[in-house]
Amino acid sequence: MNYRLGVDTGGTFTDATLINQTTGDIHVSKVPSTPSDPSRGFLNAVSRILDNSAIPAEEVAFLVHGTTVATNAIIEGNMAPVAFITTHGFRDMLEIARQIRPSLYDLQFQNPPALVPRQYCYGVMERLDDRGNIITPLDESDVEQLALKLSETPIESIAICFLHAYVNDVHERKAEKIFKKYLPNVFISRSSGVAPEFREYIRATTTVINAGVRPVVAGYLQQIENQLDNQGLKSELLLMQSSGGVYPFEAAKDKPVFMVESGPAAGVMAARYLGNRMSCDNLISFDMGGTTAKAGMIENGKVRVSKEYEVGKQASSSEHGSKGQGYPIRTPVIDLVEIGAGGGSIAWVDTGGGLRVGPQSAGAEPGPVSYASGGQEPTITDANLILGRIDAAYFLGGELRLDVEAAQRAIGTRCSEPLGMDLIETAYGILEIANAAMAGALRRVSVHRGYDPRDFALVAFGGAGPLHANRVASELGIKTIIIPVSPGTFSATGLLVTDLRHDYTQTLLESLGELQISQVVEVFESLKQDGQKALTREQVQTNAMDFEYAMDMRYLGQSFDLSIPFVHQELVSDDMKEIMSERFHSAHLQEYGFHAVDEPIMVVQAKLTAVGRLAKPSISQSQLEAQGDHRGTQTREVFFGESGGFVECPIYHRSRLETNSTLPGPAVIQELGSTTLIHPGSHFHLDDYANILITQGS
Amino acid sequence: MTGPNAIDPVSLEVMRNAFVETTEEMTAALRRSAYSTNIKTRCDFSCAIFDSKCNVIAQSFSQANHLGSLVKMIPLAVEQYAGDKLPAGSAIVTNDPFQGGVHLNDIAVIAPVYFQDTLWGYVANLAHHVDVGGGAPASVGAFQEVYQEGVIIPPVLIMENNAICEDVFRLILSQIRSKRETAGDFRAQIAANQTGIRRLTGLLDRYGQEFVNFYSDELQEYSDRMTQKAMKRLPFGDYRAEGVVDSDGFTDEPVKLVSRVVINEQGVLFDFTGCDLQRAAPVNSTHSMTYAAAAYVLRCIIEEDVPINAGFYRSVRMIAPENTVINCLSPAPVVGGWETHVRLVDVVFRALAQAIPDKVPAGTKAMICHAGFGGINPRTGEYYCFLETLGGGYGGRATIDGPDAVQAHGQNTENAPIEETESNYPIRITRYELVEDSEGAGCQRGGLGVRRDYQFIDHHASFTVLADRDRWGPWGLFGGSPGKKASYLLNPDGESRFLGSKTTVALTPGDVVSYRTCGGGGYGPPENRHPDKVLNDVLEGKISLSRARDVYRVAIDPDSSEINHEQTEHYRGHAES
Repeated sequence: MNYRLGVDTGGTFTDATLINQTTGDIHVSKVPSTPSDPSRGFLNAVSRILDNSAIPAEEVAFLVHGTTVATNAIIEGNMAPVAFITTHGFRDMLEIARQIRPSLYDLQFQNPPALVPRQYCYGVMERLDDRGNIITPLDESDVEQLALKLSETPIESIAICFLHAYVNDVHERKAEKIFKKYLPNVFISRSSGVAPEFREYIRATTTVINAGVRPVVAGYLQQIENQLDNQGLKSELLLMQSSGGVYPFEAAKDKPVFMVESGPAAGVMAARYLGNRMSCDNLISFDMGGTTAKAGMIENGKVRVSKEYEVGKQASSSEHGSKGQGYPIRTPVIDLVEIGAGGGSIAWVDTGGGLRVGPQSAGAEPGPVSYASGGQEPTITDANLILGRIDAAYFLGGELRLDVEAAQRAIGTRCSEPLGMDLIETAYGILEIANAAMAGALRRVSVHRGYDPRDFALVAFGGAGPLHANRVASELGIKTIIIPVSPGTFSATGLLVTDLRHDYTQTLLESLGELQISQVVEVFESLKQDGQKALTREQVQTNAMDFEYAMDMRYLGQSFDLSIPFVHQELVSDDMKEIMSERFHSAHLQEYGFHAVDEPIMVVQAKLTAVGRLAKPSISQSQLEAQGDHRGTQTREVFFGESGGFVECPIYHRSRLETNSTLPGPAVIQELGSTTLIHPGSHFHLDDYANILITQGS
Repeated sequence: MTGPNAIDPVSLEVMRNAFVETTEEMTAALRRSAYSTNIKTRCDFSCAIFDSKCNVIAQSFSQANHLGSLVKMIPLAVEQYAGDKLPAGSAIVTNDPFQGGVHLNDIAVIAPVYFQDTLWGYVANLAHHVDVGGGAPASVGAFQEVYQEGVIIPPVLIMENNAICEDVFRLILSQIRSKRETAGDFRAQIAANQTGIRRLTGLLDRYGQEFVNFYSDELQEYSDRMTQKAMKRLPFGDYRAEGVVDSDGFTDEPVKLVSRVVINEQGVLFDFTGCDLQRAAPVNSTHSMTYAAAAYVLRCIIEEDVPINAGFYRSVRMIAPENTVINCLSPAPVVGGWETHVRLVDVVFRALAQAIPDKVPAGTKAMICHAGFGGINPRTGEYYCFLETLGGGYGGRATIDGPDAVQAHGQNTENAPIEETESNYPIRITRYELVEDSEGAGCQRGGLGVRRDYQFIDHHASFTVLADRDRWGPWGLFGGSPGKKASYLLNPDGESRFLGSKTTVALTPGDVVSYRTCGGGGYGPPENRHPDKVLNDVLEGKISLSRARDVYRVAIDPDSSEINHEQTEHYRGHAES
């Protein structure tokens, strides 16, 4: 039982990583994803890596899975039939949504369909006020009638969201009990359990999405469990959450809405782990794949977690897309900026004579023109190829031979000619536009949040990240770029280096002035007990438990809270209020550029994160003997804008690089599944962990 | 890379995104630090950047109606206040409706941007303040002069040497009921501009002034080119339509609106000659508001992703005679000017239905539909004010239905969450639901209106309805029926009475005000609607069985919930004969 296994299911590939916990010995594998039944791809990946490494299944101590199964169910409209139960008078909450249009000038706009068809939305007699006082008691016979009615429908899951249930869950619990009694086989999600925070619409959508994906996720996980069991793999089974923490399959079956962004989270966690090992606490992660690029932030060794996002909307080329295209969800989620710029993003010319890139993508099917599998529209990959940045003969380790001439023809006819530009100039322009858009994404995740990107190092991965990182970093003045080992499967590593995590909240809605210290102590104590219970169930030893405390606060009258972390001692000290107030004012100053020290502060809620620390594997260089061939150093003509044209550029194979000898750019470093581009003026070397470190400037 | 004498499409795209991002950063800063629900949650504000000649370079996209008006307001304010001598670290504030402004609630804050000690341009934002004084809480109501509507702020300094001008600030605040909220919102507006200045200075540092200016000019040319090209694709002709605002709040005489749209080689001209003379009633649109209507329609019909900047606005041409309800002069009241503005947009689309029938919607909600109220909050003893606007049915389109319960045209404000509203204000919302059977029937039906009930539990309050559509619903197109009209009721479950669409009432504890907004107009004859769609509406309870039968002529078996095709054919056959 000495191995841990990570399985990351993406849109195109399913990646697996297997690590020996003692030696740090690492194996990776990639198999095609199977979107029609993702469990097949999952099991293929598991079999493949166990076969290749000749490690017996019984040796796997735990398995962590990152999956898009929940996201896909939402996007593709495959959620289970849900009944939505709310307070009388408000059954149209989901229909009315936010009353906005997703685009201002489109007269043919359409809003996303209501999450639950109106005939399955019900209001029942009950009402609380904003302090949780009962105005109208729950009419239990009303609920019983409804339960009987629902038993004659195809409903598989129920979402309960009563007004003000975030302060008082008494009615939701009563209703839940009744439904359970009458409908024992139906899943029940209540808003006070899933997302106990104010603002009814977003609490309702979060609860409904939880309800809708529950049968899907539960079925999927059960299937995997059974099959793994058959294969003799009896490890602990965990899932990556949107927050970057993991939780057991059992917990995921109850609250699947917490793992909707499971996939992208893994990459950021991998970056954090890498930074931690390199003693580099401030990082921006940059993950560029085939269709999108994602940027995340790690500050002081911590991942920035936010609590709201919209699911089901299309990525735009620059994230200028407006609100209302999807459904809002409120759960902890790693703060990522995602834009529609990947290797497959399509370049085109608009009617004003502007060159544009994305957000449409050629994806994996038909793919870039140079794949010669039917793609007609030029992509970022095609532009990279024309400029010599990718080796036509060594793509995916030589498995796919790229068609340079086809790429040239496509860019020529579709972009260069209408613009009256030179072919090379156009290809370079396409990359510059994509790079600028990605720099914009990095800026949004840093500058917009009040951080200076120059204080951070960039970790670049994903198939296309290492090709663009140097240029994007220079745009932001970032000095150091880290390209980890196997950048194409780096995200899967992130699955193996996280901790168990459970998030709890309790609404306080009290002005700081009137807050009782004893009340705070009591609330956190009760949240902590919940956390302890969950972790104990998961067999975490007491000395491996950590509890993180935070309070969401705002100025009285504002609606957006700032989450302020505290250590436990601060919250039980006599100066608690002074500490809280001081900390909040300065956080507000950092975030918005001003503060108002005379204004009263509202304490909105107490938040506790219970962490069960898992031992981290160590990955060392000796174990990283490269896969693939060992071609010697050669040169190729590569285009660099700063050199004003093509220059003779040395080509290295990553596995042949020596540790700690610094080499100058320009250079191209090839490896299976990825290419790293070093620009003139930058230098690079391999560090002790076999990362490529690129340094800009002198 | 190409130097700044030839246009490089790459740099153009890079700069275009950089400018738009700047306005979005401003938007984020304003929204997240504001106090009033109207700004922080409902996003009733907009941000923009201007070059040194006050040409707009980029704008953020939250409220389309602000965008057209900001571009008129800022140049006038700057010119009137300072020419080009606004010093670094200063900012001016204004809401003067007759100096390029709109209604008094919409207050602009404008700050100069300096680079290396020379004026580079301006950043500005416009936000709808929940109260600006005047005759009723939330500063909405039916008055006969602008002076009754609240504090009029000509362009004056609100900041100097990076500090708020306390004298001016106190003078403004003393006119206003909800002082703490308003002060917070002003601070957020100032913070937004400072964010914009920081980002622009960074951009100028990075690329140099010459380069940035070259591309900000070029972006305007680019938008101009795109707009010109797109206008050439529209069918040339001379199109005309009329419509009305149902009432003005003082008389029963509907307010007549006339729109002529001339499309020819020169582009698109909006001619509003023939609209009624201005009224001593709250239905007068200022020149900027009307300009915003024309700009909005043009932007919609060119159907291109044109960056909105001065280059685009060059093509916005209109004739708006003075002293009318679409270009009023002082001292006309203007608080309901947006009601006229948004109806005018509907009338223009009605005219364009002759030109581009498959591109425009049937009649939409086309009213702002304000609910404004206030009083002394019994919990705090402070004066509170609250304002929100309600959605309604959108018009059917050539191939798709009009959505239910949405905002229309230049207005895209969110609803106020009930839980947030009840936590911050002493009010209870008792219903928020769709109004069944309110759609304008059609082959593509209009959207449903909404019902929202406000109950005042424990205090006396003043409530203002500032809306419309309570006499006629939005028109249908090409055989579609009009949407159901709106109604505004006091105490719907007791001794109910209708409130006019522009009324202020004093409420006593226990009173309920109930809004039922209009449905959208239908598109095409209802008996051509696919029976499956009618069935779906019936299953969802959006339309009744009898309406399905009588209006859409579809027979649905009430027990099996299935279409009786034979019977349906029979009904529809009758309809045709």
